[in-house]
Amino acid sequence: MSEVLSIEQTISEQFQQWIGQHFADESPLKALKTGALEQFSAMGLPAPKSEAYKYTPISRILGKQFNFAAEMTPANFSKADCQSHFYQAEDANHLVFINGLFTEEYSSIVSPSSDLTIRVLDDQALTEHSDIQRLLGKTSHIESDAFALLNLAYFNQGLYLKASKNKDNKDTFIYHFVDGTADASIVYPRILVSSETGSRLNIFEKTIIRGEQNTLSVSIFEADVQPNAELRYTKIQNFLTSTYAVEGIYATQGKDSRFYTNTFSFKAALIRNNIYINVDAENCEAHMNGLYQLGGKSHVDNNTSVDHLKPNCFSNELYKGILDENSRGVFNGKIYVRPEAQKTNAFQSNNNILLSDTATVNTKPQLEIWADDVKCSHGCTTGQLDEEAIFYLRSRGINKKRAKALMLNAFANETLQEVKNDLVTAEIEDIITNKLG
Amino acid sequence: MLKINNLHASIEGKQILKGINLEVKAGEIHAIMGPNGSGKSTLASVLAGREEYEVDGGTVDYLGKNLFDLAPEERAREGIFLAFQYPVEIPGVSTTNFLKTAVNQVREARGLKAMDAVSFLKEMKEKMKLVDIDQALLSRSLNEGFSGGEKKRNEIFQMAMLEPKLSILDETDSGLDIDALKIVADGVNKLRSADTASIVVTHYQRLLDYIVPDFVHVLYQGRIVKSGDKTLAYELEEKGYDWIKEEVAAI
Repeated sequence: MSEVLSIEQTISEQFQQWIGQHFADESPLKALKTGALEQFSAMGLPAPKSEAYKYTPISRILGKQFNFAAEMTPANFSKADCQSHFYQAEDANHLVFINGLFTEEYSSIVSPSSDLTIRVLDDQALTEHSDIQRLLGKTSHIESDAFALLNLAYFNQGLYLKASKNKDNKDTFIYHFVDGTADASIVYPRILVSSETGSRLNIFEKTIIRGEQNTLSVSIFEADVQPNAELRYTKIQNFLTSTYAVEGIYATQGKDSRFYTNTFSFKAALIRNNIYINVDAENCEAHMNGLYQLGGKSHVDNNTSVDHLKPNCFSNELYKGILDENSRGVFNGKIYVRPEAQKTNAFQSNNNILLSDTATVNTKPQLEIWADDVKCSHGCTTGQLDEEAIFYLRSRGINKKRAKALMLNAFANETLQEVKNDLVTAEIEDIITNKLG
Repeated sequence: MLKINNLHASIEGKQILKGINLEVKAGEIHAIMGPNGSGKSTLASVLAGREEYEVDGGTVDYLGKNLFDLAPEERAREGIFLAFQYPVEIPGVSTTNFLKTAVNQVREARGLKAMDAVSFLKEMKEKMKLVDIDQALLSRSLNEGFSGGEKKRNEIFQMAMLEPKLSILDETDSGLDIDALKIVADGVNKLRSADTASIVVTHYQRLLDYIVPDFVHVLYQGRIVKSGDKTLAYELEEKGYDWIKEEVAAI
């Protein structure tokens, strides 16, 4: 009788082979990755009763679809193919990932390297930039999630972005192309951002998948937002119904810095977003906005944490859900206010509209406050479209469909305020409207 | 224009209208008065197409069409306008944006071209004067945080923009002080013409000092129990509704 290997054992065996093929023995990345895999093996994938994954039995779902031993097949995206998906913005950077590998020759870069460093995260980059050594895989709390460790072990050709001191950077678009023609492919994109003092950077990300076979993306975005820097990160998750994605955003903020995440989820088999923001200096602002507008059987789980470690900071979180058919939305928002973090202002709200009897929302705010002089609030609502409002609009000659669309657009639009790019905003508005039928 | 014949309607199984007969011709203003709970607002709601109400019997003919064949938005496009007793607040939708959608959907249904932004604004500016409403108010979310008077003025402003044939004012005077009442009534009067008609639903006579009706009907227990001219309204103001109730009881 042959022994059945657990997912973790399969991953571990597969890793030994994989790392030997891709990294030399003396590679500093190999050491880092081997360490990450060991940590992952010790932790294991989230257990069935894991509190953090309560409404998303992720290990079971992924275990059924993916054996984790599949090596990504070479992708068949041409340069012209990729570039045809670029936003019509000439004075901007367009960065291409193919199957999780940053592909510089397909990218289009306008920023001088003195403003914005754009590099493949490889051994050479690691040796040349002390920044990378300091930050890669070291952002606080990144080690507490199994998928973040898995990404650290497996990422290859990740991207390093450094916004130079006091530079106001051009908009930077990131495109992930994923080949879904072979079954059960897994990609591990990784982006490391270092926002130097006083810099500004606005990053937008979207994914284009070819082929309808199951794919899994385990991605990590980690950022060090240094004093008085501003970093915005907006992602559109409009995948296919065969897409599984576990995406992590981990950031640490320096004094007077501003960090914004905007997450727009429209379609997937399963999305789990893990966000952890360490507000680790005074006078910071942290903003988390999100919209999940789902149909079919899409399941989206937003797990967010903002950790106030120092006084006089502000955080604001707004997540909205529109759920139709058999979709499911999960929201878990944690706010930690540590003893030292006096005068913290932290706000959170999660509002949901259910459009069908079979859609589900699980929402759970979680505030843990140790400081005594703080202002914190949270609120969550789940309801249906206001019938009286729809009648009001119809009584003015607006048909039912249009009336619903007007109301839902208005509901969703609040989450778009911090995107700060007209092309991306317009694209999101289009997706919202089209989804409303 | 409107011919209501033996109309019966109920909500959640409770019978409210028990045989309404009423004819409204172009150029006329009809006041519907009556004590609380007599069915005044139900009548307004049924005419506008509110879906919670069940029509149990009778017919309503509007400009030669069976009113009940028409969805609420189709009634609006055919020229029926209901000024709400409690206008709904809709966060995130500005009055301007909403009205532009409404006006253009109505125009489309009437075979007219959509209004461009410039002519729409011009039209809006003109109609704003009618009810003394402020531009700033119209760029805010529809009715959100508006005072009672602002909401009612906004109703009449919408009416002016949509140019209905038959307007139904449901307790438009409720919650208004005398100045706001005058502004609202003034707007309604300016919109009066030989081709349009109004049904004014009210509990009190005071609105009728400003919007002078051609006919006054008293609704009680789901029926029109008395009709007359405007002097009936004064009589009701003076004597209250008890004598009507007694008359009905005596029959």
